[in-house]
Amino acid sequence: MASILVVDDEPEVGEAIRRVLARAGFLVAVANSAEDGLRRMDEQRPDIVITDVIMPKVHGLELITMLLSRHPRVRIIAISGGGSFGPLAYKPDAISTHAYLAAAREAGAQELLTKPFDMSDLLAAVRKLLPN
Amino acid sequence: MERLTNSLRVRLTSVVLVIHAALVPLLYLGVSAIVEDGYAELFVNPLRSNSRLIADELEAADAQEFPRYAGALLDSVVLSGQVVFAEITDGAQTLHSSLSSVSPGRARGDDFEFADHGDQVYYISHRVKRGTRWVVLRLGFDEGPTLERIAAAKRRVLAAVLAFTAASIAVAIWLSAVIARPMVRLQEAAKRVAGGDVHTELQMHSSIREVRELNHHLERMRQELVGTNDRLESEIRGREASEQKRLDLERRLLHRERIASIGTLAGGVAHEFNNILTPILLYSQIALDDTAPDGALARDLTRIVAAAHRARSLVNRILTFSREMHSQEPAVFSLRPTVEEALALMRAIVPANIEVDFDASEDGTAVQGDPSLVHQVVINLCTNAYQAMRRTGGRLSVKLRGIDNPGDGQINPGSYALLEVGDTGHGMEQAVILHIFEPFFTTRDVGEGTGLGLSVVHGIVTSMGGSITVESAVGQGTTFRVYLPAAAAQVCERSGALG
Repeated sequence: MASILVVDDEPEVGEAIRRVLARAGFLVAVANSAEDGLRRMDEQRPDIVITDVIMPKVHGLELITMLLSRHPRVRIIAISGGGSFGPLAYKPDAISTHAYLAAAREAGAQELLTKPFDMSDLLAAVRKLLPN
Repeated sequence: MERLTNSLRVRLTSVVLVIHAALVPLLYLGVSAIVEDGYAELFVNPLRSNSRLIADELEAADAQEFPRYAGALLDSVVLSGQVVFAEITDGAQTLHSSLSSVSPGRARGDDFEFADHGDQVYYISHRVKRGTRWVVLRLGFDEGPTLERIAAAKRRVLAAVLAFTAASIAVAIWLSAVIARPMVRLQEAAKRVAGGDVHTELQMHSSIREVRELNHHLERMRQELVGTNDRLESEIRGREASEQKRLDLERRLLHRERIASIGTLAGGVAHEFNNILTPILLYSQIALDDTAPDGALARDLTRIVAAAHRARSLVNRILTFSREMHSQEPAVFSLRPTVEEALALMRAIVPANIEVDFDASEDGTAVQGDPSLVHQVVINLCTNAYQAMRRTGGRLSVKLRGIDNPGDGQINPGSYALLEVGDTGHGMEQAVILHIFEPFFTTRDVGEGTGLGLSVVHGIVTSMGGSITVESAVGQGTTFRVYLPAAAAQVCERSGALG
């Protein structure tokens, strides 16, 4: 059974994703900050991490870099609702969802999802990253 | 003007009159006295010598013959005409000429006053020696002719003095007119200048040198005034123009700032919204999955999902707007392929009753900016055009060419790529045109448009250093003209740097 870690500073978003994935039979943990996500990563060693890009303190791009440096085999799905604020140092002019996600892909995310996404898109992205 | 003439004339004339009133009687009296004295001497001197001669002749007469001789002499003297009275008094006896026209009773004593007594006779007496005694010879001469001549001379003097007075008054009047005429002109000119007409030349022609000089100096003053006026006017015009330019710039800057801040705000709101929409969409899809597909609940949930999708697309549009309000990496590119690409998209969307034309020239249509933004401009303008003609059909015509704008008030001078998007749709009223570039302004029904399209266009165009104008007539259609600064120079610079 594949395990998944969801990192999002919005608890409602994390919980909704958890519900979708749990229904589909995955083991899911939710973290509400990048720091919390890193701790759970070390404890639970999930196969996939789904992370928001714009988060306070440590943002998603940094988290992706740190995760991959510690666990190079983890697969990452970046999600973002875009917007014009956040501690994003990367391309400060580019504020579109696409720009955030493009940055996430550069940082090492394999799949990208734009918030709000459909349940089917989420499941499709997860399944794409599983080995079998 | 009339009053000036009058007062000047009256004053000069009355001065002349006063001077004459004082001097003319003195002059007349003086001249008369001289004339009278002259005539009197002329009259009296020969009479004295004549009467002396007669007295000498009497003295030389024989003593025996004396009474007879004296009588004959007196008569002959009276006969000669000038003497009107002659007598000789010897003691108590008086010998008198019988031919005298003046009666002896009226003869007076030794009286040498000329024109005295009113009898017009001038008396001269001589003492004449007769032997050892003295007799007195008295002769009376007629003053009448001389008095008449004096009176005539006085009349001539009076006439001359009066003629002189009249001539002086005439000269005074003429002189005042000569002086007053240029003064009147000067007054008229001053009135004109005071009334604002500084451009009429001052023309005080006069034979008086001072007046000519006055005219010359005043004319120079007027010309200087005209020069100063012109300078001030052009300065004022220049200031008004630069003030207008400044206001224009300020307005555009304000608009841009407003758009940018709205963009930032919209970006923030969009982010929050996307986060909120995520659980709504996911939970409703989970619920839909868990529900029997044909029930009322499934239908309701489907509606929630559809609404969430619509919300998502709205937020995406706001995000796009927000993104475009921020500057992009500029690049030099030719407009034609970008516009063609956008039009290809539009052709796929517009219904068959709308004809799409594209007329483009390649020259001078390279600009600096983000091609995707220009793409968005074309799409937004064409979408508006198409929506204005959706019911009636019509023609959407897009033109692209390079122009040199000399600066016509709305657009700064320079080379531009001009993109024209025209439709034959319903057009807009002036009140609508005033607001079309404002964010969230829309004439469409709720849900049909965000009201961001044209403000996005405006934001993109101004961020590229360009301008957009609109021309519209109700019932005839609307044409948007987008002026983007031509980038030929930058292309050369870049290729030069690369080479």
